[in-house]
Amino acid sequence: MRYSRHLLMDDIGEAGQLKLSQARVLIVGLGGLGCPVALYLAAAGVGHLSLCDADVVELSNLQRQVLYREADCDRYKVECAERELRALNPHINVIGYATEITDEFIRDQDIVVDCTDNLAARQLMNSACHRNKIGFVSASALGWEGQLVAFDFAAQPRLCLNCIVDKDSPEPMQNCSNSGVVGPVLGAMGSLQATTVIRMVLGYFQQHGEMQRYDGKSGRWLALLASAKDGCQVCGVAG
Amino acid sequence: MIDVLFFGRLGDFAKQVPATMQALTPAEIRDLLAADFPDLVRELNQPQVLVSVNKMIVGWDQPLFDGSEVAFLPPVTGG
Repeated sequence: MRYSRHLLMDDIGEAGQLKLSQARVLIVGLGGLGCPVALYLAAAGVGHLSLCDADVVELSNLQRQVLYREADCDRYKVECAERELRALNPHINVIGYATEITDEFIRDQDIVVDCTDNLAARQLMNSACHRNKIGFVSASALGWEGQLVAFDFAAQPRLCLNCIVDKDSPEPMQNCSNSGVVGPVLGAMGSLQATTVIRMVLGYFQQHGEMQRYDGKSGRWLALLASAKDGCQVCGVAG
Repeated sequence: MIDVLFFGRLGDFAKQVPATMQALTPAEIRDLLAADFPDLVRELNQPQVLVSVNKMIVGWDQPLFDGSEVAFLPPVTGG
């Protein structure tokens, strides 16, 4: 039976599997993070997966973006991801949008998973998730390092990504395109994002705003806490 | 004394930096390092570098006390 390893667990079981099958999750960015997130959530039986990414597959993606094959080069990532996820689990709904993220994609979701590579998209998702009171699971990676921070805006209105990284902050000079990234580091952080989504869906997430940092070169993890910023333009504004 | 950690790739620039220092704020730690470790301080001055004190993300002017643990974390932005 497909979900027997979930059904064996007392803290998932049939009730938990039903919650997963009813969950609506949007994955934004189908790159090195989005691929493992999508694979694990589809395999877990998350019932409604939306995928958003405007890019096509490039040869240099294949070192880390594990959903795609060489024959997929020049095809939209969301088309290829839809094909692979449907082959993996035809019992869930998967829909892909080959476009940039906008507010309208976020409104009807339970959780948004940020797998993008730039602050502007992250801040758009942070604001929209806060406004719509839905979960936001954001991660990033560079070189040997990964970062994850998650917010359950349905339960906590204060403390958001903008409290930690100001939306007007300039982009750092280093990114994956000019500095590189180790594929399995993305896999580790994407797996952690997928685990966080499942925790949120099942009601086990209690770490609003906690940040996890991973340094794959030293093997070191660091868990940090943040606090709400006075006057935050996203979560500190009344109404 | 203050325990100082340079996380991730910042550690590559900080191999000769003492693990403990005397300072009143994280900003003062950065200033104290400027003369001897210009490459490290250039990295610390990048946008979106995070500072934590006792595992809490704080600003550069957060007061430090004897025994405080300060960590500097480089920005991680790719996906």
